[in-house]
Amino acid sequence: MTDETPTQPMPPEPPPRRLTRSTTDSLIGGVAGGIGRHVGVDPLAIRITFVILSFAGGLGVFAYLAFLVFLPTDDPDAPPLRWSLARTVGAGLLVVVALAFLIPNWLWGGEIVVLLAAGVVVYLLIRVVRDDGAGHLGQLAARVAIGVVLLALAAGAFAAAAAGSALGGGIAIGGLIVACGIGLVGGAFRGGARWLIAPALVLALPLGAVAAADLDVRGQWGDRTFRPVDVADLAGGYEMGAGEMRIDLRDVELPPGRTDLHLALGMGEIDVLVPEDLCVTTHAEVGLGAVDTGDGEQGGVHLDVDDDRRVAPGVRHVHLDVDIDAGALRVGDRLDSLGPDDRWGRDRWNEIDLSGGPNRAACAGTA
Amino acid sequence: MTPRAGFDPASLVAGVILIALGGLLLLDQADVLDLRFAYLLPALFGAVGGILLACGLAGPPRGRS
Repeated sequence: MTDETPTQPMPPEPPPRRLTRSTTDSLIGGVAGGIGRHVGVDPLAIRITFVILSFAGGLGVFAYLAFLVFLPTDDPDAPPLRWSLARTVGAGLLVVVALAFLIPNWLWGGEIVVLLAAGVVVYLLIRVVRDDGAGHLGQLAARVAIGVVLLALAAGAFAAAAAGSALGGGIAIGGLIVACGIGLVGGAFRGGARWLIAPALVLALPLGAVAAADLDVRGQWGDRTFRPVDVADLAGGYEMGAGEMRIDLRDVELPPGRTDLHLALGMGEIDVLVPEDLCVTTHAEVGLGAVDTGDGEQGGVHLDVDDDRRVAPGVRHVHLDVDIDAGALRVGDRLDSLGPDDRWGRDRWNEIDLSGGPNRAACAGTA
Repeated sequence: MTPRAGFDPASLVAGVILIALGGLLLLDQADVLDLRFAYLLPALFGAVGGILLACGLAGPPRGRS
């Protein structure tokens, strides 16, 4: 009897599992089935994620189409995926359409050239890495560059998540974070899905900041100057989503007594320029930022500023009721630097600052 | 006691933390809660810290079985 034991041949290493579209678990193009199989998550969770993302500016639809374009199928008889010109142009057009949909006012400026150049660079890098067409250093440089591109994408996603939250997409983004959590819990029993942590935090941190500041930037964006001329112009107040709101009250005809003016801004700055002989009182609520009504600047989170000027009866008096989610309010009765050819730099507001604050003497009726 | 092959406790902990954090943010967005920085910043820091701690204690992922 020998103690020799028959040696078992070592099983061959399984080939690395590639991300492919599934032909067996497919509702539309097999994208969710393929992703679910690859990361060890129920494809239903992936499908729910796509649906939730679709409510965030159509992101889910674009993401699905992008996967449909880029992912090869798991059908062994299908021709291999080639980075053909048609596929590249198609993918590029998808990106352009997605950007045009998400940021309609941005895309058609000079930045389109930068976007095209970035697309060419990313395409060449992908070609180098996928086609093994470079030496070791070239591959290393390409991978570093792709890492930089991914970091830039993460920064962009961070900004997009913040903007999406502030524009009212907070429910969708919160749902995505929960979906990532569910994917992680499900993936934990199939080897882990830690890659979901990064996108979830990229979404959670800006949404948290937006939620804490109660930021809502729906409405007009940009720099606007409002010059009311009579009290009827003030009745509806002024509201903007984001940007710089300038209210010039120097030419408005006001009746004796109190006139209320409501100002609301999601994010940015409100400058209110008042005539020297006008009494102005202010109640301002600022989620995150600063208020300066002439008594020194107050800054911080959840500011509630109520100035205590006493107003004599019958004095022309504007009461500002200001609501800013994130930003600053300044109220003043003069401009620091005057334009050379116009009264008080009327057409040069971008270059000058408010200062002074409203006149206390005007509230006492002695101005 | 050895953990089950293919089980990643860090993913489980991170998932539970993210579900809790996402739920908290959803409640705020649905106006059920009104989160302020005083409450939300500790929650965010706690979530990130908890996830980092879980990943650090669990070590690198073992890969799928």
